[in-house]
Amino acid sequence: MKVKINNKEYEFQEELSILDAVKKAHIIIPTLCYSEKLKPFGSCRLCSVEIKGERTLKPACVTKISNGMEIYTHSEKVRKVRSTIMELIIASHGISCNLNCLTCSKSASCEIKVIAEEIGIMEVRVPPISSRVPEDRSSYSIVREPQKCIVCDRCVRKCAEVQSVNILTIANRGPDTYVTTFLDKGMGNVDCVNCGQCVIECPTGALHEVYQTDQVWNVISDNSKYVIVQTAPAVRVAIAEEFGAEPGRIVTKQLVTGLRLLGFDKVFDTNFSADLTIMEEASEFLERFKNGGKLPLFTSCSPGWIKFIEHNYPEFLDNLSTCKSPQQMFGAIAKTYYADKIGIPREDMIVVSIMPCTAKKYERVRPEMKGDVDYVLTTRELAKMFKLAGIDLLNLPSEEYDEPLGITTGAAAIFGATGGVMEAALRTAYEVITGKTLERLDFESVRGIEGIKEAVIEIDGLKLNVAVVNGLGNARKMLDMIKNGEKDYHFIEFMACPGGCIGGGGQPIPTTKEILSKRMKAIYEIDKSFEIRKSHENPAIQALYKEFLGEPLSEKSHELLHTTYIARS
Amino acid sequence: MEKYYEKELLEELHDIQETYGFISEEDILRISEKRDIPKAHLYGVISFYSMFHLKPTGKYIIKVCDSVSCSLNHSADIVKVIKEHLGIGENETTRDKKFSLEVVECLGHCDEGPVMIINDTYYTHLTTNKVVQILDNLD
Ligand code: SF4
Ligand code: SF4
Ligand code: SF4
Ligand code: FES
Ligand code: FES
Repeated sequence: MKVKINNKEYEFQEELSILDAVKKAHIIIPTLCYSEKLKPFGSCRLCSVEIKGERTLKPACVTKISNGMEIYTHSEKVRKVRSTIMELIIASHGISCNLNCLTCSKSASCEIKVIAEEIGIMEVRVPPISSRVPEDRSSYSIVREPQKCIVCDRCVRKCAEVQSVNILTIANRGPDTYVTTFLDKGMGNVDCVNCGQCVIECPTGALHEVYQTDQVWNVISDNSKYVIVQTAPAVRVAIAEEFGAEPGRIVTKQLVTGLRLLGFDKVFDTNFSADLTIMEEASEFLERFKNGGKLPLFTSCSPGWIKFIEHNYPEFLDNLSTCKSPQQMFGAIAKTYYADKIGIPREDMIVVSIMPCTAKKYERVRPEMKGDVDYVLTTRELAKMFKLAGIDLLNLPSEEYDEPLGITTGAAAIFGATGGVMEAALRTAYEVITGKTLERLDFESVRGIEGIKEAVIEIDGLKLNVAVVNGLGNARKMLDMIKNGEKDYHFIEFMACPGGCIGGGGQPIPTTKEILSKRMKAIYEIDKSFEIRKSHENPAIQALYKEFLGEPLSEKSHELLHTTYIARS
Repeated sequence: MEKYYEKELLEELHDIQETYGFISEEDILRISEKRDIPKAHLYGVISFYSMFHLKPTGKYIIKVCDSVSCSLNHSADIVKVIKEHLGIGENETTRDKKFSLEVVECLGHCDEGPVMIINDTYYTHLTTNKVVQILDNLD
């Protein structure tokens, strides 16, 4: 197919959208409602282009190229129209002294600011229109500020198309159109699973996490409290992006140094409790397997996934592992075993988590969790704290995690990527079942970014059918297949976010496919760099069982490390 | 969202609106289940059409325009006097179920503002006195 773009001829094989064709010609057209992972919507009209012979401009994201088409992407007419559209968007955005870019949650990643510059907006001739829709602060995880919403529908589509949760909708029409939840009940009062995928999709500051940075500043400076921090596996491969580094940069040891500079009394690792999770979960699996317990076993470390199954598939609750997530296990051990060990009164021990996840903010307050964790910050919130403290993360010297809750293995490191929990569990299960040493540690078949992966793992003649699922849309597909009897497995790993925690709702923005695979590569690099790559060989975990827990699934383990679920339909 | 604007769905919503005067939360949940449409999207569809109501409404539904022209002609005063006279707020209904008040976008009589419509009747060039009279004369 021959197409002329700005008078230059190009040839394309497929029937691309004008937007995709133009991209291949290395021309940038501004877009707002378009997103690579979602169905095109065609509402913002910023991508409008001129086509020879057509009276009106056409939106490039929803118009296909055709043979002989002559497209003008930046003609004078296009530039004028685009600039008027942009002015209206800015006006509808209602920026004012109280509501401005300097104080906005997205000040560093705002797409409107970038586009305003691309289009060269110098003045806005229309007065700001402020929305009458009130803020939504009903959720423990996410805040909605409709004054900043430009109704691009991306959050609505992300929640529906990628997550299949369908929480958000566009309501009303005309200038009164706004984004909301069922009957305006608010995100905290509907079936929202707090995954935060809508937050990372939003081009503006209309959606962001519930901030806890102020509380953390306060508690750090409170000398009567012993404040420890844990860092999730996916944070160390992503936080550097907030400081302008290439995606995939590993800053584990700088992160430790930075947290010490902020004033935490001890810097520990969620990877420690990831190893602990493997001990409990692998034992739980083997017990169910031997004694005819409920299978397939579903993993339980992703709180977004947990809330999803509680709302939508309560009939499967017995399949869930009873293991708490690593974040909660960490808190439970820190406030008992560790507090006693160092002689700090349990009630003075404060646990802060740094998570790639917004759902962990909700998990923290679940009554079943009994206050294991006190504050949860996202990767983005921690970056803000570092900046506020003048900490130049990328150039900090390297330091090591504190002992003993900072001693970890390669198996724990991979929890951050989809497939990691499965692989770590297999490494341990293999050795427990066979009593032999596992030679090849890499289970390649469960790695990679695809939404659903399956593998048959042979252990001493025993065939284990396993699957790995990420993204809730894929989880829904998987559960429906099991329900209809189309699929049968022994063990399935589920993660709410596309790509697993490296693509979590609290991670740096943007999170594109390309960025995800770079973060994933970094995760497996970290695994390789460890001498010990199996959870059960972690000496600190071995000591914990010896000194305190006894053995996996002991009474004490059950009391501290396991939980229950609620049917919410 | 087009695919949910099917005729059948709209007819069902219409029937409920006609029969009960409004569409309740239970109605939405039931339809959501039956038609396998997410409840948030159903809410979106219902709110798109001004003929559907989510709360019981009064015998007379007063809609006052507050778009640009009307608001330059002091539509806010009209809204205020209605609220005071009837003792209700926006999107509320009087105890005796006689009146409901809504503030809406342009009613298409911009050069005759301020404008309101009560059920199917338009009232233009309103003044605060005139509004009170109109309301008092309805039974
Ligand atoms: S969303 Fe962007 S344009 Fe709007 S206030 Fe925030 S930074 Fe500024
Ligand atoms: S947090 Fe997740 S479930 Fe909730 S509205 Fe956003 S995308 Fe949907
Ligand atoms: S909340 Fe954000 S993503 Fe959703 S419609 Fe508004 S601007 Fe777009
Ligand atoms: S990006 Fe094409 S219409 Fe919004
Ligand atoms: S502005 Fe009120 S009728 Fe148009």
